[in-house]
Amino acid sequence: MQNTTLAKPGTKVVRVGPDGAAWIEGYRCDECGAVVTVATMACRNCASRTPPAPFRATDHGTLYSWSVVHRSYPGIAVPFVSAIVDLHDGLSLKGTLRNVDATTLRLGMPVVLVFDDAGGAHDQNGAPYVGYHFVPEGVSE
Amino acid sequence: MTDVFVVGAGMIKFGRYPDRTYFQLGAEAALMALDDAGVSIKDVGAVYASSTFNAASMLGQKILQQIGQTGVPCINVSNACASGASAVREAFTGIKSGLYDIVLVVGAEKNPSGMLGGSPVAGPPPEGLFGSVTMPALFAEAGMVHANAYGTTLEQFAQVAVKNHHHATMNPKAAYQKETPLDMVLASEMIAYPLTKLMCSANVDGAAALVLVSDKKARELGMARAVRIRGSAMASDVFEPRSPEILEPNSVTRLAAARAYEMAGVGPEDLDLVELHDCFATAEILHYENLGLCADGEGGRMVSSGVTALGGRIPVNVSGGLLSKGHPIGATGVANMVEIVEQLRGEVGARQVSGARIGMTHVLGFGGSSAAGVHIFEKA
Repeated sequence: MQNTTLAKPGTKVVRVGPDGAAWIEGYRCDECGAVVTVATMACRNCASRTPPAPFRATDHGTLYSWSVVHRSYPGIAVPFVSAIVDLHDGLSLKGTLRNVDATTLRLGMPVVLVFDDAGGAHDQNGAPYVGYHFVPEGVSE
Repeated sequence: MTDVFVVGAGMIKFGRYPDRTYFQLGAEAALMALDDAGVSIKDVGAVYASSTFNAASMLGQKILQQIGQTGVPCINVSNACASGASAVREAFTGIKSGLYDIVLVVGAEKNPSGMLGGSPVAGPPPEGLFGSVTMPALFAEAGMVHANAYGTTLEQFAQVAVKNHHHATMNPKAAYQKETPLDMVLASEMIAYPLTKLMCSANVDGAAALVLVSDKKARELGMARAVRIRGSAMASDVFEPRSPEILEPNSVTRLAAARAYEMAGVGPEDLDLVELHDCFATAEILHYENLGLCADGEGGRMVSSGVTALGGRIPVNVSGGLLSKGHPIGATGVANMVEIVEQLRGEVGARQVSGARIGMTHVLGFGGSSAAGVHIFEKA
């Protein structure tokens, strides 16, 4: 029963080890080098039948694009910055960029991925989730 | 192989129809197109029906229940915002193959209300926690890639909305006929920077239909109002390193456009007008470049210089586009073609592009993957 309250991934790219440590998993094709967020049966890019291999992604990257979202689905707190970040080892991720003045956003801005509690959500057994967001490099929580 | 001609076109006024079903809307458009062609449903060899949200509930057959159950095959197509073009492409293939002499294409939709985008996932609701997957946010992010690369401005994106809303004032079937000057577009509610509410497509119901025929049948019916489909192309998204974390609408559109131009044997310089997928104002500027209407990086200046307005060198979305005519999703791709067909016949009144001979339609569908459809039409 104890296992049901271990932290669970709050979104597809998050992995949580038995010790509770979290990481982001990406997949890289050994043949063409393509990097993707989701495991596939063959490489999406070169169609190699050797499935892209999992790797632990770095938490450092740069800002590629963004939007300041002022209106979303009912009940979603706004505004927030929706960002696409290129991590340094080739994986690109969408996430919320926090602790940032939206007027200072710029292409190539260094950012860091930070794990969080996915808004404090729990599953039906009371297990917490692990999520992530981005902050500008050098900005503390 | 036979050429394929459009000999009938029709669409209902776009708007909200709370008291009517999607198949009633489709049936009305179907009858308009059949009457326009001067043929009966009894002459039709197959029906291709598109609806993003209702294709799984036998749209085509339900339309036939309304207008005559002739027993012909009905192919129901759902392909996100590219559904309508996908149905036309299948209909084109049916005529090209020689299987049919006359087919009917109907796009019909009753859009869900509210913000579109996203789909259910396990775990905590992701919106806001992991960025945004609303459609406005996705197209805002795609637009910001262009802004970052080329300096495209908020005002240039907004001018797309000014232009298309202006065009719609001349289209009685558009959902909205209201001028929206630049200051009004900029002052409307910010949804997802740089997109304000007036830079987002009008979420409405609608239906549109076309009758496609072989060259033999076109000659029988009379070529005076016939429009030839010179190019019909679809593409699916190829690998892009950041997709689908970011919506990448460019390479899939370029692939479809290249195929359509090759089939048609024409280039962008031959086009007299274009109806392209302006689901959001940012998208129109990207697609100027994707369709080869200008060089990469020139999209912002295309709209600010008036080149793509009615009276300009290459008018784009003179119907009012998705922004103001409206975007009943599964009907949109067919409605774009209705506009081009009527333009090439010289039948649209105040918004007529004078001397139009060759026109293009484009749609882009997105739902975690992408589909693009590009068609090229010529006055026969």
